[in-house]
Amino acid sequence: MSSRFTQLFEHSPDAMVIVDRTGQINDANKQAEALFGYGRDQMRGRSVNTLFPGQTVPLSNGSGRGERVGSHLDLVGSSSDLRQFPADVNIIPIQTQRGSAEVLSVRDITEEQRAQFVLELGLDVFESADRNLQSLLDHFIRAQEEERSRIAAGIHDDTIQILAAANLRLQQLRNRLDDPEQRDILDKLAKTLHMALSRLRQLIFDLRPTSPEHGGLESALRAVLEQMQSDLDVRYQLDDRCTSSLPASISALIFRIAQEALINVRKHAKAKMVQLEFQEVGGGCLARIVDDGVGYSPADVEERPGHIGLSLMRERAVIAGGWCRIESTPGTGTVVEFWVPYSGLPTQPEVRNERAA
Amino acid sequence: MRPIFGPNTRQVLTFLTDLWLLSPEEINRVTRAWREVSDVERAESWAQLHRAASLRERNSYLAAASVARKQAMDVASMLQRTDWAFWAAAWDAAAAIAARERLGSHYDILISPLATVFPSLSGSGNRLQVPAQRSERQAAAKREAASRGKVTETSSKQGAHRSGRAGMEAR
Repeated sequence: MSSRFTQLFEHSPDAMVIVDRTGQINDANKQAEALFGYGRDQMRGRSVNTLFPGQTVPLSNGSGRGERVGSHLDLVGSSSDLRQFPADVNIIPIQTQRGSAEVLSVRDITEEQRAQFVLELGLDVFESADRNLQSLLDHFIRAQEEERSRIAAGIHDDTIQILAAANLRLQQLRNRLDDPEQRDILDKLAKTLHMALSRLRQLIFDLRPTSPEHGGLESALRAVLEQMQSDLDVRYQLDDRCTSSLPASISALIFRIAQEALINVRKHAKAKMVQLEFQEVGGGCLARIVDDGVGYSPADVEERPGHIGLSLMRERAVIAGGWCRIESTPGTGTVVEFWVPYSGLPTQPEVRNERAA
Repeated sequence: MRPIFGPNTRQVLTFLTDLWLLSPEEINRVTRAWREVSDVERAESWAQLHRAASLRERNSYLAAASVARKQAMDVASMLQRTDWAFWAAAWDAAAAIAARERLGSHYDILISPLATVFPSLSGSGNRLQVPAQRSERQAAAKREAASRGKVTETSSKQGAHRSGRAGMEAR
């Protein structure tokens, strides 16, 4: 061996053994002595299978050059005290004065495997927590919609009917009165009842904004946008190019995501203009909501807790089998883009089974 | 290796690693390329991804996309690049790599911005390759960026503080 090769061989951080074509060990460095627990004199002349018992170490047939330059194996090494360890083995063919041979560079990867095991355990915990969170959000969103719908139905079918009946009786009573002072009192009472009815109808709209009685998605969004324009002087453009008749559940879902985006515009964006665009793409609805406000740094905002609105927007889209991206940069406004398929929301059991799998 | 991002997990991980090799100019190139792709074409490709995959597969593709987006944000921040189109491109590309076999020609649409700097990623018909050679220029850019990392982080935080964006934290 040249002195240069000898130096490299001796000072390599990895254990190295030189093996001839027959699998006999010709030499070993001090790291190999430390790793396998044999002196190099004990190793010389022995089969390489002493170090890797019961395993095939594929060696070159001696025809020479570059057959498996840098070939790589995962083997189980065995030391003189019969300790076994996972070994990462690189086989490098070389030419020596005595002919062709192979250098086996051996590394004990016990620690790496332990670290990988710990990482995988951590990953298990993370995935489980993520599944639980998704399941919780899924449940939360569905329960929220169901509850809103139930409350709206209750108000519509019960409370409003009772108030309407009360209003009717009030009118009958008023017609029987001759005293102008008493009629005036009843007029004021009737006005109060009208106000209560009007507020309850607004509440039903808020709870079921996209129901046919309210004119569907576009009408519901326009109402929100008009309110924002009136309150904050934020102009808007609404371009709804979806011609398909949307299932009620999808229509409500699109509205809720857009509504959340508009709440953010209202609360944070300081925008002058917001554009909403809906179009049919790939069997679903692609929505883009763009404002010209102050924007924000996603890296700063998303790392902090308390931005459940952003998570809910994404989660709503994912539950429906779609996706949602919310992007911004300080000073350049915010873009919310999402797509949901028309095929509708998957049934809850499917979602749960998939996520539990 | 555990296939956390589906069957192409290794390629996704390689892609995530390679994002760190990009130079500021390459990020600019990706950003420009992403903005040149039609929104509708991109959405069609995502629709294909969603149509062709089960819910579980979709979740793993979206996980790959989310990790890539975060990684790209970190890379961009380190190199003082703020255009979100870069991490949007990484989001698309990671999902495309993860779902490659499901996407057909849509793969090229989602990957094209990143393929401008990693040409080996392009080509839906070919087997996925890792970006071929990491040039010394890229490695030098990475080293230089790493040495600037702390300064950049500090200055960006100061910038955020000065611009009084505390209100946005409530999002």
